[in-house]
Parts: sequence; structure tokens; C-alpha cells
Amino acid sequence: MQMFKHIGVIALNTFRESIRDKILYNIGLLAVALALFSIVLGEWSVFDRSYVIKSTTLSVMSISGLLISIFVGISLVQKEIKGRTVLTLLSKPISRASFILGKYVGLLSVVAVHLALLTCIFYAILLLTGSNPTASLITAIYLIFCEMAVVIAVALLFSSFSSTVLSALFTLGVYLAGHLSNELLEQVRFAARMGEMDATSSAIFEKAAVVIHAVFPGLYRFNVTTYVVHGVALPDMYVFWNSIYALGYVGVFLAIASWWFSRRDFL
Amino acid sequence: MIQIEHLHKTYRTGFTMKPKKALKDVTLHVEPGEVYGFIGPNGAGKSTTIKVLTGLLNFDSGKVLVNGISPRDVKSRRFLGYTPEQPYFYDYLTGRELLRFYGRLVGLEGKELESRIHWALELLHADKDWIDRRLRSYSKGMMQRVGIAQAILGKPKLVILDEPMSGLDPMGRRDVREAIQQLNRDGVTIFYSSHLLSDVESISHKVAMIVDGRIVREGTVDEITESCGVEYHVRTRQAILGENLPQGVSLTGHPQEFVCSDDAARDRLLSYCLSNGVSVERMDHKRPSLEDILTEEIARADV
Repeated sequence: MQMFKHIGVIALNTFRESIRDKILYNIGLLAVALALFSIVLGEWSVFDRSYVIKSTTLSVMSISGLLISIFVGISLVQKEIKGRTVLTLLSKPISRASFILGKYVGLLSVVAVHLALLTCIFYAILLLTGSNPTASLITAIYLIFCEMAVVIAVALLFSSFSSTVLSALFTLGVYLAGHLSNELLEQVRFAARMGEMDATSSAIFEKAAVVIHAVFPGLYRFNVTTYVVHGVALPDMYVFWNSIYALGYVGVFLAIASWWFSRRDFL
Repeated sequence: MIQIEHLHKTYRTGFTMKPKKALKDVTLHVEPGEVYGFIGPNGAGKSTTIKVLTGLLNFDSGKVLVNGISPRDVKSRRFLGYTPEQPYFYDYLTGRELLRFYGRLVGLEGKELESRIHWALELLHADKDWIDRRLRSYSKGMMQRVGIAQAILGKPKLVILDEPMSGLDPMGRRDVREAIQQLNRDGVTIFYSSHLLSDVESISHKVAMIVDGRIVREGTVDEITESCGVEYHVRTRQAILGENLPQGVSLTGHPQEFVCSDDAARDRLLSYCLSNGVSVERMDHKRPSLEDILTEEIARADV
């Protein structure tokens, strides 16, 4: 019980710290500007206006959420260490796991608020342009949130033991690998089937692709823009199982981050 | 309250992870109710010892107990308050917001939290307008007061302060000194490091001196200074010829002023004066200060 209270206090402070961070406003304003620009794009495009606005705005939400998750996420722990505020904080009767979880919940709340605000703007744009604002768009936005939940956990994991720049690069690497791992596996298998590689190379490449696919979180699962924009139904329980999938990865990443962080010396 | 036995700590620094021994077999005990001063030169191991006590650093070997619990256990910090050297805080908060934040982390809520904040600020003479300003505008003295206030909010039994008086003006030092003494009267054990040896001499019940990672002296200020011997300076009304001086007594350069190296030499000189009709004008005793002893220990460690 005490642990939840500590997590809550640290999360609230992290939220307060993040919303006073200039970078958040820069990303937020850019996202709003791009969302509004989607109206112009819809007019210029040869495609259906509604399709262009929806897919552009969902991409803006995903990318701006990613930028916040990476750039604010990696600096959260590093700022505490470099600013030496961690010394006073960890001398209180709180565990280092509570510290990591508090930071995580705080930033996740910031991303949730950011996505909620963009959702309001998104729906306002759709209503103003008469672009059929369906409730299914919420599913896509929810899955973007799940994806960001995983990305923030990755950013915290790396920032618990490496520098800010390295953490940003590693997190971006995991993000790209997570989005491309499925495609990579399919391409390797396709190339093998087509006989473009000899048997040995094919086996090695396929094993490597399988490992990458298994280890990195499959972030491509959370991108359902195409389904939603075209009004195609998602498979049954898709959202539920992918929520569990995200939760599993978040749990593992935060457990490793807490374990690593608890072994650290603070000079 | 604090029990450290045979503590060793090694840092590994640089690309090659070259080991550097920061603490070498440190042993010290702090009893409940004591004001315990921890002194030594820069880099001697004071902050390292303090960070081990607060659970911020792991250690290689030895036994460390705080309130009877290992600092690796979160419970050891339940009744512990700590202010690091040159404390840094979230500069986007005001002093009061910061104290509320730390107060909640030690389990305070509502009216109790506000009354503890009020009490801590009064104790440190910090209940002023500036406490509601953002921390980024604070001077070093204000920051130090807020730093100590956050350490004492949660009714700690033990307060550990790393250089609490460094960088403070004389008023600030006096306020901190008085706050330490008041807390101690309320039953709080204080363990603090300091470079300001005059302050250490005036308020500490016990002192430990650390040089190059080793405890070189421990005890009350009197015990430490007495262990180094006391010199007596005697001035007589008549001159005494150098060849007549008793053993252990030397001239200072003035024919009527003498230095006795210990109690026995002093007694021999007084006997000589009585039996030879020499009047003693005055006699002072001079003990080495903590600073003298520390300087001597540093020189010894450097050899």
C-alpha cells in the first residue's frame, strides 16, 4: 500500500515536471499544427479527403507520442542523476522500483493527456470537415497509447544505465526493430522460398529474423490505422490480446530497469 | 544508532575500471542522542561513508547498520533524514511545494504535513516570503535551509548532514548550529560531516577523523586533543639561564618565557622556581586544536 502511495507521489511530481518542460509544448504545438495541416492535405490529395485526414492525424498522434516518450522519457532518470536530486529522493524510505514505476506512471499520464487533447482536436477537425468521425478511431488511438506505454518502458530501461544520447539511440532502435521485425521475417522467408539464397545463408538469416522478431516488442501490432480508416473490422479480441501483449513487455522492461537501477551507485 | 564495522568500499573509474579504495576498514559507532562530527580533508571518504549509510552506495565488505537495519533495506530509512552536500532540488517547485513533496514521501498528509513544514521552517528561520518562490531563485543559504528542513520533516530519529554549514554566512551557520542543537535536545541523533572545525569542536559530543579512507582518531574532542599532549607556556618575572632549565623545559626565545612539553616538565619548572626564588607571572596551557591534529594526520598520510 505504501509503495503505491510513493509511486503516486513520484508520478504526480513527474507529471508536473514534464508539463513544465518546453520540449513537450514544442512537440504538442507541432502536432496540433500538423493535425490542422491535414485539412489542407485532404483538399490537395487525389485520395478521399476523409481518408487523408484520418490517416495523417493518426500518424501525427503516433509520431508526436513517440517523440515525447523518447525525449522526455530518457531525460527523466538522467535528469535526476545529473541534477543530484536523486540523492535526496532515494534517501527517503522508498524503493528504487517505486522510483522507476513512479517515473513511468508520470510520463504515461503526460502521453495520455497529450493523446486525449489531440483526440479532441482530431474529432473537431473530422466534424468540421464532415469526415465521418467514427468511434472505431478511438481503438486506433488506444493502440497508439499501448505502443507508447511500451516505448516509455524501453526509454526508462535504457536511461537507467546509459547516457541520454545512447538511451535515445537505443530506444529509437528498438522502435524501428519493433516495427520492421515482422516485415523482416516475411522478407527473409520470401527470399528463401524464391531460392534467392543458398540453404545455409537462408537458415542463418531466418534464425536471426526469428530471434529479432521474438525479442523485440512487435510494435507493428499497434498500428491499425489502415483497418480503421477503411472501416475494416479488427479480428475478435485483437485489442484485448494486444493490450495484454503490451502489458507483458512493459512489466518485463520495468522489472529489468528496476533491478538494474537498484544495483547502481549514486555518487 | 549507527554501527559501521570494517567497512570497505572500492570505486571503479575510467574506461579501464581502475579500482580506487575509498574506504579502508572503517569502524565507528554512533550512540543514540549523540551529535557526532565527521571530519577529514576533501576526498578522505566522508561523503562515501554517508552515502553508504543512506543506501545510495553499495559497499564491498563489512557490516553497516542504521537504526539496527542494513541500509540496503528500505526500512532503515524510515526514521532517517539526510541532506546531501550542496543539495539540489527540483527548481521548478517552490520551497513549500518541495517540502510537501518530500513530506508525502515520508507518509505525512494534510494538517500534520502542514504543521511539520511550519515547524521545520521555524526551526531553521526559513518561514519567510521566499519559501513560496521557485527554488531556481534561491541563494545557497536558502537552499541549505530547505535541504535541512526536508530532512527533518518526517520526525527522524537520526539526521545525517553532509557539510551542512559549507558556504553559509555567519548568521546561516549560527542558525544551522542552533537547529542541530535543538534537534539533539529533542532526542534526535545527529551525524554530520564538516570542514568547519571550530563548529565541530563547539557542538559535537564525539568526533571521528577520517584521512585517506581510514579512521585515524575517534572520541570526544577532549579525548582526541588530550591524546596529543598538552603544552604549558610559563612566564616568570626573572630570567632563568638556559643551562639551569629542568628536563623537558625549553626557552621560547624570550629569557622569561618557557615551554613545558608535558605535566612532569611543568612540575619540575615550578619546583625549580619555588626553590630558587623565581616568581611565576603567568601560566597557560595549550592543547592542539582539531585542525592541528587533522593537519598532522594528513601530513602523516602523505608521507
